[in-house]
Amino acid sequence: MDLESIVKALNLKVRSGEDKLGTEVRGGYTGDLLSDVMANSKEGDIWITRQVHQNIVAVASLRDHAGIVLVQGSEPAKDTLEKAIKEGIPILVSDMSGFEITGRIYNLLINKTG
Amino acid sequence: MLELSLHILDIVENSTRAGAKTVYITIIEDTIRDVLSVEIKDDGSGMSQDILEKVSDPFYTTKTVRKVGLGIPMLVQAAEGTDGKFRIESKGGEGTIVAAEFKFSHIDRQPLGDIISTLVTLIAGNTDVDFIYRHQHNDRVFILDTRDVKREIEDVPINHPDILLFIRQHIEEGLKEIRAEV
Repeated sequence: MDLESIVKALNLKVRSGEDKLGTEVRGGYTGDLLSDVMANSKEGDIWITRQVHQNIVAVASLRDHAGIVLVQGSEPAKDTLEKAIKEGIPILVSDMSGFEITGRIYNLLINKTG
Repeated sequence: MLELSLHILDIVENSTRAGAKTVYITIIEDTIRDVLSVEIKDDGSGMSQDILEKVSDPFYTTKTVRKVGLGIPMLVQAAEGTDGKFRIESKGGEGTIVAAEFKFSHIDRQPLGDIISTLVTLIAGNTDVDFIYRHQHNDRVFILDTRDVKREIEDVPINHPDILLFIRQHIEEGLKEIRAEV
C-alpha cells in the first residue's frame, strides 16, 4: 500500500514530501524514543510518533522510512519542517492518538480495511 | 538514548576522537535549584566557528560512513525537552566545552543511569587520556582524578582489572557518600 492511500483513508494532513506519496509502505513502527526507533524500525516503515524535534527527520532519513505521522494534532517544529522539505521526508499529521492511528494503519496494511 | 550517562559516553568519545589528552566531566545535582547539569570539557582539537554552528544539526556529521550524526542533537533535544538548555563552546586547537542543563524534577528528564560503568569504560578504553570526574550533589563533592590514580599505581596499567575494580568501588562509595541524607 502506498502512502497516499493511507493519507486518504485516514484523512492525514500532508506537511511535507507531497511528491513522495507514491512510496510503498512496507510496515510501521510506533515510538518516541529515537534510539529505540533507530534500532528497531525498518526501511519502508511508516513511523508514528509524538516527537516534533528536527531529529526525527534525521532518524527517518537514516532508516529510510516511508514517512512520519505526528499524532494528537502535533505540528512539526519550524526547523523540522524545513529539514523534512529539504530531505524529501513526508510528514503527515493526524488528530488521532498514537494508539488509534497505529491500530488504523495496522489494519490498513494487514487487512486493507481502515 | 535512555540515560544521561550514555549521552556522556557519546560526547566524551567525540573528545577522545578529537585527540583530547585531558577530559573534565562535571555533574552537578542541585535539588534546591532543581537543576541537573552535565559539562564535558576537553583539550582536543576543537572546532571552527562555522562547524560549531552546525553541530546541533542532525544532518551534520564528521563521520563519512553516513550522512546523519545524532550524538549532540539528541543531547540538545534531551535538555530542551526538560526545560533545560544546551551550550557548546569551542576554539580550534584549544578544546571544546559541551554543557547541558536539565530540570531535575522534570518528568521527561532521563535518569543519570549507570555513570560508574560509563566512567570505567572510558578509563579502560582510553588509557592515555586523563579523566577528572567531579560529581557534586548539593553542597557535597566527589572527585576522581585518574592522574592521581596513575601516580599511585606507578607501573601498573590503569586498565588492569584490579585497578578498574578499585576505581569502580571508589566511585560507588564516593557517590553514596555525597548522596546520603544528612
